[in-house]
Amino acid sequence: MTKWIRWSGLAGFLAVIGLIAALFILLLPFAIKSGIEFVGTKVAGAKVTVDDADVTLSPLGVRLERLQVADAREPMRNLVEFDEAVADLELAPLLVGKAISNELSVTNLQFHTQRATSGAIAKDPEEDAAGDAKPSLKEKASEALPSVDEVLAKETLKTPQAGEALKESWNIQSEQIDAALKKVPDSAALANYETEVKEITSGRLESVEDFRERKARLDALKKQFEKDRSAIRQARDAIQEGRSEVSDKLAQLRSAPGEDLAYLKDKYQLSGQGVSNLTGLLFGDDAANWAQEALYWYEKVQPYLESDEEDSTDIKDEKAPRLAGEFVHFPTDDPWPDFLIRTARLTGPFSGGQLVISGKDITHQQIVTGRPTVFTATGDSLERIGDLDARLTLNHTLGNSVDTLTLAVSDWAMAPLNLGVAGARLASSQVKLDAEAKVVRGELDAELDAKVSRAQFTGDGQTLFARELNAALKGINRFSVDAGVTGSLKSPDVTFGSDLDRQINSAITKRISAKQDEFEARLKSRLNSQVAEYAGDYADELQQLTEMEGSLDDKLNALKDLASQELEDFKAQQEREAREKLEAEKAAAEQKAKEEADARKQDLKNQAKDKLKSLF
Amino acid sequence: MLTLLARLFKALNSDSAPGQVAFAFALAMIPGFTPLFSLINLLVLLLAMVLRINFSAFIFGVAIFSLIGYGLDPASAALGEKILNAPELRDVWTSLYQNEWVRISSFNNTITMGGLVISLVLLIPVTLLSRVLILQYRHRLLAWVNRLKIVQALKASKFWYLYTTFAE
Repeated sequence: MTKWIRWSGLAGFLAVIGLIAALFILLLPFAIKSGIEFVGTKVAGAKVTVDDADVTLSPLGVRLERLQVADAREPMRNLVEFDEAVADLELAPLLVGKAISNELSVTNLQFHTQRATSGAIAKDPEEDAAGDAKPSLKEKASEALPSVDEVLAKETLKTPQAGEALKESWNIQSEQIDAALKKVPDSAALANYETEVKEITSGRLESVEDFRERKARLDALKKQFEKDRSAIRQARDAIQEGRSEVSDKLAQLRSAPGEDLAYLKDKYQLSGQGVSNLTGLLFGDDAANWAQEALYWYEKVQPYLESDEEDSTDIKDEKAPRLAGEFVHFPTDDPWPDFLIRTARLTGPFSGGQLVISGKDITHQQIVTGRPTVFTATGDSLERIGDLDARLTLNHTLGNSVDTLTLAVSDWAMAPLNLGVAGARLASSQVKLDAEAKVVRGELDAELDAKVSRAQFTGDGQTLFARELNAALKGINRFSVDAGVTGSLKSPDVTFGSDLDRQINSAITKRISAKQDEFEARLKSRLNSQVAEYAGDYADELQQLTEMEGSLDDKLNALKDLASQELEDFKAQQEREAREKLEAEKAAAEQKAKEEADARKQDLKNQAKDKLKSLF
Repeated sequence: MLTLLARLFKALNSDSAPGQVAFAFALAMIPGFTPLFSLINLLVLLLAMVLRINFSAFIFGVAIFSLIGYGLDPASAALGEKILNAPELRDVWTSLYQNEWVRISSFNNTITMGGLVISLVLLIPVTLLSRVLILQYRHRLLAWVNRLKIVQALKASKFWYLYTTFAE
């Protein structure tokens, strides 16, 4: 047997393993510090620093000294920092690259502390753009009573659209009409035609050649008349079409303000209901800030919470790299995800006392542990808060993707709150708060119920509205606010309800109504002035088009008359002249015979008179 | 690398037991076909160093079988997945999984399991085949190889210097 064994090989093996272990222990603190700073900075979007990291061998564990996570939104502040964190590490999992700690203890945990140096890092410009795009809740709530200019600038209304359409239509049609009118003969041309026709058709035809020449000229003129008549008809059609279209557009423009006003009245609730958003207006920003803080943290954590669907997709989509394979996990009481803290206890100063946060089964691979990650927070000896209980459950175990937060705060002496509207300020109050939020597969559903007692409002607003509001608020010392948040995490819908609205409503409804009437009148006036501005002289232009159409009809009739003129045939002229000559001669002969007869008659009459005289 | 090859040729051309060279070469299948950095391969390395087998042949074998392993990975993963998910073996794996030192062997990795099974199944056949080939090489090819002009040219090179150094 011993002939098969090479003892020197065993010594060499142990030497190599010992060397590797020594290097590992020596380099591990540096690796931990660098790893936390690198990954933390990437996740937080701002500098994460660790002053020192130590590895202890018995028991195996790690100790971090002063970790600071800068706030990406305010680089001169820390989101969170702590003085010391101590965690034990299990050896066996560590040998296969899995960091598993049974207990993590963090002391002097603090939020929103000042930094000595900026914690900003170079940012992705796309992230900046996305961040800037979100309007604040106050901006959204302020839509209840916007200014006329804001509405007209922000809304896509029909009036300016119809005005632009009219302008465009007029430009197109007038171009077409001008082009058609250029082909129409003017009055001088018509007078020339008349003279020419008269010249051709009047006067005696001297010969057959003369007749032919005149006929040819008249035929050429008639062809020109036909062309001109066609041009006039086309111009008349263009005018009719243009007039019809411009009339339609003008009618649309005139009806647009009515439609716009109806739309705006509906959207901006220009009625007594408009004031129902006052709670949102008063408390919206603060609620939004709290919600944003919560969502900020959630969004940082959320990508690392794997669900079964995501897992299966990853497996299907990604080809396993060389020599990686996949791990098949079996049921066990001691699962090994890549990272796990079985229990954590974090403590730090908060509101004059201590905030104690406990964590259980903290991992990004709940599909391996089969247990959700649970955080609970309680307050100890807090000055301004009676009781604080919060519980956050992140459940991404097999078949689940549900994150739940419950929060109960009682006897909370809330710090003075600037309400940001009309100079109003909630100087002091006692609050009981219950909140529950649930995120199921990216869809948020949250409810908050706050009961405020011993409320004292102050306010120094100088406008009539501010005075009315502050007067109403001063009479209120107890109210409740409930808020609901639903929809996707990226763009949740926030609704507020409160008996504060009812209380304020009765006090300032008249004032608000007057304001809204004034608003509506101003809106109407501005829309009408827009109509006048767009419509301009188009009505006169339309009248001119009608007159132009009449003038074209006259021209058409004149040309028709001219075209009907005919040149007499030369033979017919000869016959007519002979006939006229014969008739003239006949008339002359008849005249002569008549004169002779009359003369004879007169002679006979005279002779008879003479005979009678001789008788007597 | 030249040193390693020289050592390997020394083993092949010398009178050292062909079984030692053949087994070392066959044993290299395990690290070659499975993920290199694992507890199993640490044990295999221990075996290769402690057992009186040819270590150069083992290292050479690791290089060769790692290359083959690239192509074999999909088959290893499929086989490993089948074995680890086999209902009749589930209890065995579950009980092994409870022991943390067994678990750090990464036996539950599909390529580790597949590659290990393939290596173990082929261990004896590859050992025997390698042994036969080494003997055939010594009896039939060695004299002929030595007569080759290329080998004679090689004998004038640095490689031959190294070879003779290790052969002494």
